[in-house]
Amino acid sequence: QSPPGQPTVTHCRSYEKETFNCWWKPGPDGGLPTNYTLVYWTEKNNKRIECPDYHTSGPYSCSFSKAHFSMWILYSVIVNASNALGWNASYEYKFDMLDIVQPFPPRNLSLSYEAVETSMPYLIVKWNTPEKADVKTGWMTLVYQVRLREEKQQIWEEHIVEQQTKLKIFSLTPGKTYAVQVRCNADKGKWSEWSEEEYFQIPEVT
Amino acid sequence: MFHEFEERFTPDRRILAQSGMSCHTSSLNTPEDKEQAQQIQHEDLLNLVLKVLRSWNDPLLHMVSEVQDIPQAPDTILWKTVEIEEQAKQLLEGMERIVGRIHPGDLENEVYSPWPGPPAAAPGDENSRLFAFYNLVHCLRRDAHKIDNYLKVLKCRLIHDGNC
Ligand code: NA
Ligand code: NA
Ligand code: NA
Repeated sequence: QSPPGQPTVTHCRSYEKETFNCWWKPGPDGGLPTNYTLVYWTEKNNKRIECPDYHTSGPYSCSFSKAHFSMWILYSVIVNASNALGWNASYEYKFDMLDIVQPFPPRNLSLSYEAVETSMPYLIVKWNTPEKADVKTGWMTLVYQVRLREEKQQIWEEHIVEQQTKLKIFSLTPGKTYAVQVRCNADKGKWSEWSEEEYFQIPEVT
Repeated sequence: MFHEFEERFTPDRRILAQSGMSCHTSSLNTPEDKEQAQQIQHEDLLNLVLKVLRSWNDPLLHMVSEVQDIPQAPDTILWKTVEIEEQAKQLLEGMERIVGRIHPGDLENEVYSPWPGPPAAAPGDENSRLFAFYNLVHCLRRDAHKIDNYLKVLKCRLIHDGNC
């Protein structure tokens, strides 16, 4: 039995530019029940403040509400591990809020096909804004990336879509099935994960 | 307008993290979250954008001259700095026209946050000179992002009636 090993703050993320979460990885527990506390401070306020919510974002994490969020400030985070025999602190994890903005992926990706005589046929890709993202007030501005590939190919064709939540794709091969995904980023932050793949078979020409 | 710059010119966070950074515009009391950005009157928000932009006149000119003396700086950073200085000037002129229409005659003596000038460095102390430049890049990126965000909020509020 020994004091706890050193924990590591692994990452912090803001999904919507209004709140954020941080996660850590525990070190060896020294064979004893270990208690974790997280403290943070900012470039504007050097006072150490303890994590306000250890529950909402799961084990080994801290969830910071709006009251703890400032957009254009440098934050520092440290996690302390302690057990009956002693304690150990993580390295300081320092970040600019700008750099941890990463939205949820877009929702409800759907594919349909438009073939009328008056224009070239095209695939219509539609999706919804990600969970929590407030784009109506302009606080978040999303850019989307749509990618598609032939089902049996590995090479993706990519399209950028600014703010709109649909895209028309022309010149697809009749009879082939395509896989499509979409992701987004907010104000030049990090790309979200890709959405689930959706598939669509382009009708044969009749 | 500043976005390309952000992509190419993000400084080394480790260098920045180790030293006490500060931005000359940090004394301007700007909104730091969505609620604050929504509660502020649009005239006040426009004025803040104007103040932040004016506070960058001198440091941007300094950066243009400084970047030419950094031997390691690739040409892309040189011409990006020149381009940003030029675009900031155009944005400032546009903002002055807009604010001038709202408050005619009220523009001349608007207080802003002056830049204290480059830190005195020992001759040949390239590291502290480089750090001072990084510090400015860091602050420029932050303020560019801030202005971009405020202008998008204003656009949605004033042009799209809060329903962008
Ligand atoms: Na937790
Ligand atoms: Na806040
Ligand atoms: Na922004």
